[in-house]
Amino acid sequence: MQDKNSRFWGGFAKLISLNVVLTLMAVLLVLPFTWMVLASLKVLDEIGYDSWLPKACQWHNYRDVFTMKGIFFGRWYWNTVFVSSWITFLQVFTSSLAAFSFSRLHWKGRDQVFFLYLATMMLPGLVMMIPNYQNMILLGLVDTYAGLVIPASFSAFGTFLMRQFMMNIPKSLDEAAEIDGATKWQLYWDVVLPLARPALVTLTIFTFIGSYNNLFWPLVMMKSPDKYTLPIGMLAFQSSQGQQTNLLMAAVAMSVVPMIIIFVLMQKQLVKGIMLGGVKG
Amino acid sequence: MAINKKDIKEFAVGIGFLLPNILGFLAFTVVPLVMSVYMAFTDWNLEMHNYFRSEPITFVWFDNFFKLFSDPDFPQYFGNTFFMMIGIPFGVAGSLVAALLLNMEFTKGDGRKKLMVTMVLCAVMAASFGLLAAIGMGATGMTILLVSLIGGVFVIGSIGGKTIYRTLFYFPYFTAGVATFILWKKLYNPLNGPINNALRPLLDALTPVAVMISPACRTVGIVLLVIAGLFFLNMVRRKLRLWRDGETGIVSAWLGMILLSLPLVFCWSWVTPTWMHIVMDNRGVQTSVELSFLSRDANWVLLLMIFFLSIGWGRFLYAIYLAKREYRCIADRGIGDSAIVDGSAMVLNMILVGLCCVFWMLPEMAASDTGLQPPKWISDYYWAKPSLLIMGFWGAIGSNNMLLYLAGLSGVPQELYEAADIDGASPWQRFWHITWPQLANVTFFIMVMAVIGGLQGGFDMARVMTEGGPAGSTTTLAYYIYTQGFNTGRLGYASAVSWLLFLMVFTVTMFNWKFGNRYTNE
Repeated sequence: MQDKNSRFWGGFAKLISLNVVLTLMAVLLVLPFTWMVLASLKVLDEIGYDSWLPKACQWHNYRDVFTMKGIFFGRWYWNTVFVSSWITFLQVFTSSLAAFSFSRLHWKGRDQVFFLYLATMMLPGLVMMIPNYQNMILLGLVDTYAGLVIPASFSAFGTFLMRQFMMNIPKSLDEAAEIDGATKWQLYWDVVLPLARPALVTLTIFTFIGSYNNLFWPLVMMKSPDKYTLPIGMLAFQSSQGQQTNLLMAAVAMSVVPMIIIFVLMQKQLVKGIMLGGVKG
Repeated sequence: MAINKKDIKEFAVGIGFLLPNILGFLAFTVVPLVMSVYMAFTDWNLEMHNYFRSEPITFVWFDNFFKLFSDPDFPQYFGNTFFMMIGIPFGVAGSLVAALLLNMEFTKGDGRKKLMVTMVLCAVMAASFGLLAAIGMGATGMTILLVSLIGGVFVIGSIGGKTIYRTLFYFPYFTAGVATFILWKKLYNPLNGPINNALRPLLDALTPVAVMISPACRTVGIVLLVIAGLFFLNMVRRKLRLWRDGETGIVSAWLGMILLSLPLVFCWSWVTPTWMHIVMDNRGVQTSVELSFLSRDANWVLLLMIFFLSIGWGRFLYAIYLAKREYRCIADRGIGDSAIVDGSAMVLNMILVGLCCVFWMLPEMAASDTGLQPPKWISDYYWAKPSLLIMGFWGAIGSNNMLLYLAGLSGVPQELYEAADIDGASPWQRFWHITWPQLANVTFFIMVMAVIGGLQGGFDMARVMTEGGPAGSTTTLAYYIYTQGFNTGRLGYASAVSWLLFLMVFTVTMFNWKFGNRYTNE
């Protein structure tokens, strides 16, 4: 009895200390966000005070962000979601088609073409940016949504990820489907795609987050403020009205919300996906 | 004939599925690639070739690259890019620690439920008593806020366990982007940012103490430096022993020596920033560089550093001399070991040397008229990069790397630990002889990816927080390409820089291909 008791309290002490360490780490990591939320509820004059707490919560700050002059926050929100959704949809679609071709079909030169895809994954994106921008000028796509969506709709990484996953789907399914007289399209749409669901979900999340946060390309492409996406919009906000820290923080808080929603909803798939992809940083 | 027809049909179907992707691939990857190579060799400049003025674009061969290497600012930007990569081992170590903590058995054996219930009850009680005590003692809002935050996380974490902590750790990384950079810019505000608001009273209290114990500070600094030097020598000895035994090759030995020497070399530049004083005008633009002589005290640091470095390198060079006759082994063996073990040793030594520098500089700063002042963070030439590194560390702890490590940890066979328990291994031995080697491939993968990312990194931070300044101290290669290509319109030049970047990434990738497999298949 004595022994059992002491083991219980020993385990208890270990558990408590582990929880304390983890709690302290977590609090340190979350502190900046705490400040962000509290600062967004302050009056502007209170910002520099030692105390983080607002005297009275100014919830209207969040409403004010939408009505500020020269800041089209609602519009930017919508633009970002719109552009990111299109990019995600197109990229997942084209990648899965290409991956199907690379993994399930046999044609001459297939492996050579795939190697070319792989080789370009190594290239820094920056190398392509400057010529791409010149092409966009030629095509007249500068300052249009199409100019944001189209170049981002094709991804060697996405193709690679999908192909790796599809390679592991048993080949016997293809034969069975063929005996049943399925066309290649039916094989793709009805057999392979449903089975590749985990990879699809992973790629969807990665692509959406990536394009939601993308700064470089929109920064280069978009000229008129009402067509901005959130990252460049926030940048413009900071440089034109950055002194209004409380409103800026309210905007920052709101721009982070979709990420949090995705994370909370998709946490399981996301964690699985990172193991699956293991690549995208 | 029939076979041919089938071939063609298969090809048509295959290409048909590929078509949407490959059109985009050709248009937005292959064509720009070819264009970019061409641009790198021309003097394409938007100032000379635009709607109003079209001078012919001339092919200038390697002129852009010559210009690049003779650009007086370029070494600084190049160095910045590498300096920012110092953060990588710290971040990876942070992720590993977080993963190890999260992987610990939260509850074990019988009485698990009882343990959990007791634990949660205690957590709730501790949190509420803390809060009550804080309020009862008439604490300020800030204290109550902090206590309730810690208590809240403690209680929720105790109930929810691993998942809650993992979510909270992952939070900074997941939201990373322009939004968090803007947030950190406000946090770093030197005048009224919360970080400096919190530091100021602490430093004010520290100032008289630092003045009082100033000789002790110097002593502690020297002692720390000596410890760092001895550690350096010890690691050098280990490296040379491995080399003698044929465990590592000459490439690995050189890599290890360079990694190990870095902290001591940095020590010199940290302790003696007065040696090179950069003069800036009131807009923060660099106007000139003044040289001043070392202060007499700093000479001590310099001498010690030279002493340790010369012993270490002397042994190494002597070993090279011997190696010609005696050591025979494959040149590229054990590179992974160098990258990881010596990299970790470098991190440890960096910390030691950093502390040494802090102690060294403390009395001098405290004795000045203003006393100890909090740094100006991103608006200070010397602090800008460390500030960005601190922010990067905050985001890197709970990153994908932590999740990769967690996956790696769950893949370590439990029999190994059981066997170690039977042999009576200490926790440290369990980690060093089981966990760490088992995670070697994950670490290697993470490191390579981080280096590739680091070479191309720094654009978002620089654009949002510092615009590459002050005086170019946060301009990385990526940001340089952006400013050259899109701000000043020197497209040819920018393309040349981007190809240099490619060469570096390519080298790392080749390194990974050649040594990665060998290391991970051990």
